[in-house]
Amino acid sequence: MLLKKQYSRSLLIVLITFLALSCQSLKTAVYDQYSYQQAISLKVESDALIDQATNIFSNHEEEVTTLRLELMKLVEYEKNKPDNSISYAMLQLMANEDRSLLAGFLKRWEEEEQLSQTFTTEAKAQIMEAFDLIIKYEADKNKTNSNSILDFLEN
Amino acid sequence: MDFEELLKLIKEELIRVLGESYSEYKEETKEDIEAFLAASRVKLERWTKLLVAKDLTVTDYQWLVKSQKDILVLEALYKAGASKRRLGHLKNKIINTVVDTVVRALL
Repeated sequence: MLLKKQYSRSLLIVLITFLALSCQSLKTAVYDQYSYQQAISLKVESDALIDQATNIFSNHEEEVTTLRLELMKLVEYEKNKPDNSISYAMLQLMANEDRSLLAGFLKRWEEEEQLSQTFTTEAKAQIMEAFDLIIKYEADKNKTNSNSILDFLEN
Repeated sequence: MDFEELLKLIKEELIRVLGESYSEYKEETKEDIEAFLAASRVKLERWTKLLVAKDLTVTDYQWLVKSQKDILVLEALYKAGASKRRLGHLKNKIINTVVDTVVRALL
């Protein structure tokens, strides 16, 4: 009987350790109110600034520099949060000047000095859609937190 | 040119060009191309009309198609993250179930 109990305990420990280790890579960062607010703030500021791209770039250089700086600050913030590779990768795409999202749009505006109304409208829709995905991803982390709390309360 | 015909032409061309570079992944490449075109169809049609009407330049058009690719990358990341969270949630359930079952059966 004692042997059976010892065997069962060992089996239990082995199973839990195996499950815990095999699922280490499944960890994701918890919902972060600051990240969520900053992403919304960047979206609203970008929305307003992109509309100005039909005007001469040099007249808006200061606002562009501020927006770029805000974006880089958020990228750096996300980079240093543990288990946050997806949010970080999403923001990196947005901040990469060689891609065709926010940083890429600002670079093109700077290089061409002025962009057409049609292109600006279409590009803005794309950039806003990209921001929505980043914001939604952060907001969904909140649901995960709620589920974890419910799990804890149920068990 | 009819847009459907153009879309078919783009698909054939993509399969040909990418098929040469990734011949060992022919089926996967075909699936990726179809997914990209299906998700981007409405936008591609609108941008193509604007290009034909000269409201967009070729460079504008190229930038927009690239931005659509970037959005699909973002969507893929979003889906990967959502699956990861679901699996994490499942992990807790698995651990609890294993513990409960083993305790009930053996202790």
